[in-house]
Amino acid sequence: MNAATTTENQTVRLQFDAQTHVATLTLAMPKVNRIDAAFGVGLGQALDWAAAQEGLRGIIIDTAHRDFCVGADLDTLFPERDPQALLERVGHLAGLYRRLETMSVPVVASLTGSALGGGYELALACHHRIALDDARVQVGLPEVTLGVLPGAGGTQRLPRLIGIQAALDIILQGKILRAPKAKAAGLVDALAADPDSLRQAALDFIAANPGAAQPWDRKGRMPGPRAGSGDARNLFMAACGMIEKKTAGAYEAPRVALATVQEGLAIDFDRALEVEARAFVQLAISDQAKDMMRTLWYHRNAAKKHEGLPHTDSAGIKKVSILGAGMMGAGLAFVCAKAGYDVVLRDINEATLQTANAHCIAQAAKLRHLSDEDRRTLLARIQTTLELEPMRGSDLIIEAVFENLDLKHRVTQEAEPMLAPDGIWASNTSALPIGDLAKVSGNAKNFIGLHFFSPVEKMELLEVIVGDQTSESTTARALAFTKSIGKLPIVVGDGYGFYTTRVFSAYILEGAQLVAEGHDPVLVEWAGRSAGMVVPPLQVFDEVTLSLGAKAFTMGRKYGRNLDLPGVSMVEALVADGRTGKAAGAGFYEYKDGRRRGLWAGLKAHAQGTPNDSSVELLRDRLLGIQALEAARTVADGVIQRRRDAEVGAIFGVGFAPGTGGPLSYIDRMGLSAFVAQMDAFADRYGERYAVPDTLRKMAESGDTFFEAV
Amino acid sequence: MLSIYSPALDGRQECTVPDAYVFDAVRSPRGRGKKSGSLYATRPIDLLAQSLRALSSRNELDTSLVDDVVIGCVTQTGDQGACIARFAALEAGWDLDAPGVTLNRFCGSGLQAVNDAAAMVASGFYDCVVAGGVESMSRVAMGSDGGAIFDPSTLWNVGSVPQGISADLLATLGGITREDCDTFAAQSQQRAADAIEAGRFSRSLVPVTDRLGLPVLEADEHPRPGTTVETLSELGASFETMGRQFGLDALTKERYPQVERIQHVHHAGNSSGIVDGAAAVLVATEEAGKSMGLTPRAKIRSVAVVGTDPILMLSGPMPATRKALRKAGMQASDVDLWEVNEAFAAVPLAFINELEVDPGTVNVNGGAIALGHPLGATGAMLLGTVLDALEDHDKQVGAVTLCIGGGMGIATILERV
Repeated sequence: MNAATTTENQTVRLQFDAQTHVATLTLAMPKVNRIDAAFGVGLGQALDWAAAQEGLRGIIIDTAHRDFCVGADLDTLFPERDPQALLERVGHLAGLYRRLETMSVPVVASLTGSALGGGYELALACHHRIALDDARVQVGLPEVTLGVLPGAGGTQRLPRLIGIQAALDIILQGKILRAPKAKAAGLVDALAADPDSLRQAALDFIAANPGAAQPWDRKGRMPGPRAGSGDARNLFMAACGMIEKKTAGAYEAPRVALATVQEGLAIDFDRALEVEARAFVQLAISDQAKDMMRTLWYHRNAAKKHEGLPHTDSAGIKKVSILGAGMMGAGLAFVCAKAGYDVVLRDINEATLQTANAHCIAQAAKLRHLSDEDRRTLLARIQTTLELEPMRGSDLIIEAVFENLDLKHRVTQEAEPMLAPDGIWASNTSALPIGDLAKVSGNAKNFIGLHFFSPVEKMELLEVIVGDQTSESTTARALAFTKSIGKLPIVVGDGYGFYTTRVFSAYILEGAQLVAEGHDPVLVEWAGRSAGMVVPPLQVFDEVTLSLGAKAFTMGRKYGRNLDLPGVSMVEALVADGRTGKAAGAGFYEYKDGRRRGLWAGLKAHAQGTPNDSSVELLRDRLLGIQALEAARTVADGVIQRRRDAEVGAIFGVGFAPGTGGPLSYIDRMGLSAFVAQMDAFADRYGERYAVPDTLRKMAESGDTFFEAV
Repeated sequence: MLSIYSPALDGRQECTVPDAYVFDAVRSPRGRGKKSGSLYATRPIDLLAQSLRALSSRNELDTSLVDDVVIGCVTQTGDQGACIARFAALEAGWDLDAPGVTLNRFCGSGLQAVNDAAAMVASGFYDCVVAGGVESMSRVAMGSDGGAIFDPSTLWNVGSVPQGISADLLATLGGITREDCDTFAAQSQQRAADAIEAGRFSRSLVPVTDRLGLPVLEADEHPRPGTTVETLSELGASFETMGRQFGLDALTKERYPQVERIQHVHHAGNSSGIVDGAAAVLVATEEAGKSMGLTPRAKIRSVAVVGTDPILMLSGPMPATRKALRKAGMQASDVDLWEVNEAFAAVPLAFINELEVDPGTVNVNGGAIALGHPLGATGAMLLGTVLDALEDHDKQVGAVTLCIGGGMGIATILERV
């Protein structure tokens, strides 16, 4: 009875309803809809087919999968370095999208699932976007987070659709919005409660808008300031300022994206697409985009999927106890409770427990999507106690007491008996070797390091430290637990400082060292920021506190670190003067009401003299070089076993410059020989800590790289 | 030696490069550059035409001998578009033979017109050129001519920030404080008030009239006599929000990483006033002047223009002046009186510090902080101002210099004859 014609190709299932005269193009690629060569061919054929249907009145594009379309297939884009070839491919896709919106019938995007990047750009090339009213459905243009820009019309359609300012807000930050917010921002036109009403709304739109044309193909003004107006110019200038303020020039993509929006808006839409395509290609073939894609996409995904890591179907963990209810302990209790675990939070101080409780309540209040009932249930999973006994039968105990070997030994001996049979003991140490901590354990094979980062609710990374005696089953179970609380794991070998703490210490200590050598602290901070470090060295030193640094020096000396450096003496002197950092209201910076007021003028008096040469480039080379070298050492000494972990760990744990792709990518990009030569020169001038490990030297000599070049 | 055709020399002659002389300079009074300003209802073409007419009539100029009319005008759009120089000359009733060209070197345009006229005359290809400038800031808003100056690509590739940020950066780099700027501004007001009172502008100043011949504006209307450091201290910094909140300060950081934080010291009271005005200057060879029965007032000793960093933008007067002094074979100490355009108080202050000149010789009749800065006209006005002052004080050598958008500087050295 329903006179429907159907066909399909490798990308799209097609259906034409002879009663409504509406063609439905259902994106149905194998597994997931993503934009590759087959997508273009399939969509092109689909448009031919639809156009050939007698009396075509409209088109609905929907999906056969959970997501609408997740964007470009990076497997095709990542290795591409040929500008001409890429420009042609981008031009082809842009042409298809352009054809879609100029077929003189209304086209509706039916967003029952997420539409990201090129997938959302397909939706933008439709005349109307209806999304399922479900927070699971997300839309947005995340391209800049991988070092590129929306290259299928996004930089040109979105500002013409919702105005310059609103569009820049999405494009420059690579924002992804959930459906309700996307509606409010104008990224989708309407929401529908369920797929059936969505389809009906799409049919209604088609019936009501027979001559649908895009705003940019009609006469009339775009929302907000007109392109070329003084207001638009001010807006673009302010956007430049904001980018610069946030990124210190470390990223190409937002800069080029902004310029592309501005340049494209000045000219005719069709030719604006060319401007965008060229800018896209410029970024897509750049080193920065390649490095960002490799680490922030491939390596991060591999880490997220636990590729190559010990696996178990069940962690066998229900009850988790946390020892120590400080900031970290409290945060861990909340994170575990949120993931559904029964949590016992133990401390020896009632006041600390009360603060922890308040912290959990405040965190729960932040979870807006939960009902009051859900919140109560969540909080009820957390039991705070001064006693040991409530911990009995724990499948996992996470020790988060102060960083002191004796103290950690004592609580291990005291609380380990509370573990259920085959329960796991995890120490949240940031530096102490797991082997040393496990010496007092009755069951070292079940002893593991779980180094969380603060604030634990926000920081995704988890450094899993496998001691010499830690069993593979313990690691597998710990990893299953990691997944259950939504953390991104790196798995590293044992040794003082493991991985992240070694790299981080190298960074902040070098920052202090540069000041001690007499370099202008203002330049030191700028060098850090403009190199792309998430937080500059002296600022972050103040945040973690100089007293913590001083304690770490003491500990480091015990573990044989050579810390005979002016930078170390300076930090110790500052601590002795009470300048212990942000919390104390005085450190490298001055503070007023907890806010930084500028670098402390007294730092100059702590300097050893005036350096022979100083430049932002030199300081950048030293600040990044010292970390990259430390990362290379961890590869050499086996702490890092999967190179991806060095990149993921440094970026997500330490705030290493994401635009470089990580410390090893940084070395690769500079070239191993050039890096080794630079470090050798630094070792001559600035000391032993720049000594190059033999394995790195050999790699350089044999022309090796850490990652396959693209 | 050049072989040129010269009507003044009656035929083709071999000659050495002639000197360029200034015979006269006139200017309009400066009206407040807003809708309530006195000159708002006067078209910029009329402003300029009146200056040209004043110049030609009081010198009984045979305008058919004017080889070119070179006019500085910054915002060449709207009322100021379409080569205002040509149409103002025609509007002034000048001979059809007198052509016109409009140039834009931002704030240096008016002086650029004088320098171009001097260079044209000194080349021997021209005998008599009228230079000048016009800007009606009340009618044609600054920046309304568009351009790539603030395109994001320009900001990334070249470096460009709003001028106020540059001015505050210049102050920060030079250790010039808010108090320094306010003190200088109060002094500019005081000097301008004294000059007006003593009639020191009367030689150049030509009232603007309407079509009935009735006066529209007879004196500069921007000065605020009685301004003190105390009254200025109440004003909020103009570029702080833009710089800090909108992040524009950050756009200077890559080139000036040593600046931890820009001190925002400038405000409406210690920056140049937004005004309307026009000016005209007669430049010719001695012979051409003589043939027209005119006596030269001064000789152009040298001219110079330089490029500097576009982000700092306002540091051009120093290298431009050094270059002009070098070309003239002079030292800064040879200059008796200076006009350093008061775009922002930090500019003349930085100039005084860097060239180590006596502050008592700089802007003796006040400057743009009190009198206003009609962008394209200012340079031509300052040339007349320094010439009048030299004559008043019976001094010989004067210099005019201005900072210029995009990071440029311009200077002219003249000597009374």
